[in-house]
Amino acid sequence: MAAAAVTVSSAGSLLAMLQETAPELKLHALASLNSLVSTFWPEISSNIMDIESLSEDGEFDQRQLASLLASKVFFYLGDQASALPAALAAGPLFDVSDDSDYTQTLLAKALDDYAAEASEGPEKVNQIDPRLKAIVETMLDKCISDGKYQQAMGMAVECRRLDKLKLAISQCDNIHGALSYCINLSHQYVNHREYRCEILRCLTGISLACENPDFQSICQCFMFLNGPEHVATILNGLLIASEDDALLAYQIAFDLVENENQAFVLDVRNHLDAMRASGSTEPSDQTVIAATEPSGDVQMTDDATMPSPIRVDPNDVAQADRLTKMKGILSGETSIQLTLQFLSDLLILKTIKQSVETRNSVCHSATICANAIMHAGTTVDTFLRENLEWLGRATNWAKFSATAGLGVIHRGHLQQGRALMAPYLPSDGAVGSASPYSEGGALYALGLIHANHGEGIKQFLRESLRNTNNEVVQHGACLGLGLAALGTADEEICEDIKNILYTDSAVAGEAAGIGMGLLMVGTASEKATEMLAYAHDTQHEKIIRGLALGIALTVYGREEEADTLIEQMTRDQDPILRYGGMYALALAYRGTANNKAIHQLLHFAVSDVSDDVRRTAVLSLGFVLYNEPEQTPKIVSLLSESYNPHVRYGAALAVGISCAGTGSSEAISLLEPLMSDVVDFVRQGALIAMAMVMIQTNESYDSRAGTFRRQLEKIILDKHEDTMSKMGAILASGILDAGGRNVTIKLKSKSKHDKLTAVIGLAVFTQFWYWYPLTYFISLAFSPTALIGLNSDLKVPKFEFLSNAKPSLFDYPKPTTQQTTAASVKLPAAILSTYAKSKSRAKKAESKAQEIAESKAQEKAAAPSSEEASAASTSMQVDVTAEKKAPEPEPTFQILSNPARVLPAQEKFIKFLQGSRYEPVSAAASGFVILRDLKPEEPEELVLNDGPSTAAATNASATPAPAAMAVDEEPQPPPAFEYTS
Amino acid sequence: MDPKLTEVNQMFARFKAALARNDLNTCEILLSQLKVQLTKFPSLPPLFQQTPNAVEELKLARDIYEHAVVLSVKLEDQDAFERDFCQLKPYYMDTCGIIPPSPEEYPILGLNLLRLLVQNRIAEFHTELELLPVKALEHPCIKHAVEFEQSFMEGAYNRVLSARQAVPHETYVYFMDLLAKTIRDEIAGCSEKGYDSLSISDAKQMLMFNSDQELHQYITEEHPEWEIKNGFVFFQKAKESQPCKEIPSLQLINQTLSYARELERIV
Repeated sequence: MAAAAVTVSSAGSLLAMLQETAPELKLHALASLNSLVSTFWPEISSNIMDIESLSEDGEFDQRQLASLLASKVFFYLGDQASALPAALAAGPLFDVSDDSDYTQTLLAKALDDYAAEASEGPEKVNQIDPRLKAIVETMLDKCISDGKYQQAMGMAVECRRLDKLKLAISQCDNIHGALSYCINLSHQYVNHREYRCEILRCLTGISLACENPDFQSICQCFMFLNGPEHVATILNGLLIASEDDALLAYQIAFDLVENENQAFVLDVRNHLDAMRASGSTEPSDQTVIAATEPSGDVQMTDDATMPSPIRVDPNDVAQADRLTKMKGILSGETSIQLTLQFLSDLLILKTIKQSVETRNSVCHSATICANAIMHAGTTVDTFLRENLEWLGRATNWAKFSATAGLGVIHRGHLQQGRALMAPYLPSDGAVGSASPYSEGGALYALGLIHANHGEGIKQFLRESLRNTNNEVVQHGACLGLGLAALGTADEEICEDIKNILYTDSAVAGEAAGIGMGLLMVGTASEKATEMLAYAHDTQHEKIIRGLALGIALTVYGREEEADTLIEQMTRDQDPILRYGGMYALALAYRGTANNKAIHQLLHFAVSDVSDDVRRTAVLSLGFVLYNEPEQTPKIVSLLSESYNPHVRYGAALAVGISCAGTGSSEAISLLEPLMSDVVDFVRQGALIAMAMVMIQTNESYDSRAGTFRRQLEKIILDKHEDTMSKMGAILASGILDAGGRNVTIKLKSKSKHDKLTAVIGLAVFTQFWYWYPLTYFISLAFSPTALIGLNSDLKVPKFEFLSNAKPSLFDYPKPTTQQTTAASVKLPAAILSTYAKSKSRAKKAESKAQEIAESKAQEKAAAPSSEEASAASTSMQVDVTAEKKAPEPEPTFQILSNPARVLPAQEKFIKFLQGSRYEPVSAAASGFVILRDLKPEEPEELVLNDGPSTAAATNASATPAPAAMAVDEEPQPPPAFEYTS
Repeated sequence: MDPKLTEVNQMFARFKAALARNDLNTCEILLSQLKVQLTKFPSLPPLFQQTPNAVEELKLARDIYEHAVVLSVKLEDQDAFERDFCQLKPYYMDTCGIIPPSPEEYPILGLNLLRLLVQNRIAEFHTELELLPVKALEHPCIKHAVEFEQSFMEGAYNRVLSARQAVPHETYVYFMDLLAKTIRDEIAGCSEKGYDSLSISDAKQMLMFNSDQELHQYITEEHPEWEIKNGFVFFQKAKESQPCKEIPSLQLINQTLSYARELERIV
């Protein structure tokens, strides 16, 4: 029937009815309008005033209905700001469970409003409209009761309702999952640092209270919260419990050390000591050991104070032993030792340095620096040994750099560090024969060796600092002290450095400024204001610059706490202080991708009058964004096309910093055009940035890696290239093969926390623009790409695991020798001659033989049918035959042996084998992994302690030639040598 | 028959009786009761549910609202008229096919058109007109209103006033009276623009007043800015009060041209 389709064509009649005097009619009209509002809202909107006045009419008993109608009309009009209050006024009529667009939109709006108000501070929370609060609470409760826990947790976090967060987590069936979700959430999306701490405190409270606390994540949280006493308690509790728990404790300790927060780790250690001491004072009370350990923990955190110490049985030798091990780990010695062994084990190629070496002396120091970076932490100084005469050409500051470079090479060599540097160090009292430049450099080198683990060397450096009046030595000592005592905020050292600062000597003052900053990293101490005041006083630009950077370092990671200081610096008249302000922004908001900080940096990048400030502002974006490396190329892509070369330079480095070690394709595409920029220093920046991005990337992963290497070579050999870009190319090749190709630049630890030392290192590294010796700071950012399994004795057992990817994808890049041969076909004769020359420099016949073998082996890999393998030396025979047996098509997986080189990109392919003797305590596939021995009764086979030959043999299967080379050449500890000037 | 419907019918009968004997107060009370009763029928707009009594109910409701409109005219209450008419409208526009058209439809629509003319809401007048079918324009009531509007627009005010005698429906008289007032306002507005001053007798004639007193009263009430002096009505003051700005056209033109020239030079 036609009538079925009958509807009203206008709401006019109902609107007219609304004007009637009888309340029944009004009610009827309102009810009808409410059901028709989706169609007739344009008509109704012209009468919205009437409806609103009805909703405010105290006499009218259907005010809520009127409010609801008004709210809907506002919603359709797109005026959410008016719709929400009206909806709130509608009270119970506003149905939260409704599924309509209207309800959903308004609920979202309500949440947003609530979150926005709540974020303004706790006092504001009390002023929030109770009706709004009620709605938000209903929503949260509904989410929880519907089982949408993640939603509820997210909302609760955003609305600052920790009570609801707790409720959601406790209702959740997977508490561990929920907790780790929340921790991620708070790190990724909570911009306010203080509030983030609050959430984490709440979360740790919950997780300690549950059945099987996930101590690993709890400890990470406590590290963020800076609660060393809690971590110490947990570790202590685990240590005195079962063997398995102790393993877990070791793993936690390794993870903590990986974050490189020296001050915190030291605190933990001291607390552990204190606990042990208080335990031994009451030996009689032995029964109260952690039998009921979890419940003990609950109490501890509930009152959030230092708990009554869990008493350790002093007679229990095993526990004492564990504690010693633990302290060893915490002091970083264990991990450094292990890493050192690992790195020196896998040294590669020496030929590259010959091709890198320039025949002219212009880039001399850059080459030394590149060499240092290339061998960072490998203790391989053969290049320097073989070229002593050439090295001797370095004078003055170049000599300073050259000496400091040794520190990079021997980085982490804590025991022998001082002995190694002894020839250059100032002898007590009397002025030695060595020049002040090498003395200063040696002190700086000591700092680099002991960076972040400077307990043992601090005293020596302080004395050296006090005993000298030479500003060059002071310069080195200040840097060295800053590095060694990184972030410890040691008062005495601070005084010493301050005294140097107040001598107002430009050279020493600059280093003193940076040194103070390093000392105070992330403490946001009062000293910053003092430094700022002095920066205003002094006339020396160098000192101001040093101080500006130092101040920036002090606010590391303080986020909004640093805002006042940043404001002060960025508004300063002095461009150098504004420049420091950019660094302060970068470091305070490192890796947070905080919108405000990005906004501010972009503002300065385009509007400041000083080129230095603009360059730094762009560069700083890299620091703020390193958590989201994929974002950076997008954000700086426009800036990279700026007319201002400084901005382009900054854009290149920003990409380099934030995408370091990622091999990101976008980043490479952005940097490629910059490498052929018209301005020399932009090319320099682009080359360095490219090297940082491509570090450890080989040709089968990204074909551009090979092109880049060839380009670097070309630039270095090109006589007509500018010095600036040549230097960039030399540094770039150093970075590309940094640390014997076994390290990458990593700004985040595997637990997604920022690595303090690495970030600081890169920040100071970018200062090389003004002061070349600071280039060495990049070595702080290197972290070994290795998976090292450890048993309960912290020894490296024999253990195998699977990498589910083609071996070639993550293989070492092909050695340079071979590349030169390949390139020689196409390139002009000049290169061939260089090649010949580099060959002739390799004096040892043995190594020459190896080179041939090596290139043969590589060719073999490329074309296994070739018969030339028979010419290989006997030492290579085993490997070559192994190669032959390999199946023709490349396997899609490989078995790696402990310890192994595992690239960050490779981590996701790592699988631990089922049915293996060892089982990892945690699932992380990089760094140090503590292994649980499933068959403790069988004798263990150790890898590293058996001597290098075993290690080489195990490694040989994965990386044939270089490892074999290591066998012959490596193990002897390098004897000291000295070059004369 | 549905008891509710019977009840409303009875009430409506009483209402009609009261209307017939001009007992307007009773009418008003009854009407508001009736309206409340009507909200209980689901067959009425906007729901249009198909109840068995739908046709009866719709007819009844339409009848009630038609009477309500007539009543409002009698009460000389324009707001009530608008209200009731708006409520009546769906019965005319949306119910064709369910109930036959009402004989009162066109007179009432014409009445509404007239009302819009009186209130000088010309735009709405034309909107309403557009909504009507072509054949409706032939109806004397509608035609009357349309002709009216044409004379009104032409300024043939005398024709408008003389048309008062030829109303097609007795309810129209009320609006015709009101129309005179609207027209007077129009004339007053025009004279203000057209003359500097007018003699009182001319003004009286122009504004269709019978006595000087009426004129004086009108001026004091509606146009206090007019001045009566020496037997003349002066409009000057009103004119002066309007701000008269001269547009500095030459200067602007010169400026723009010079900008353009300079711009060309720059590029």
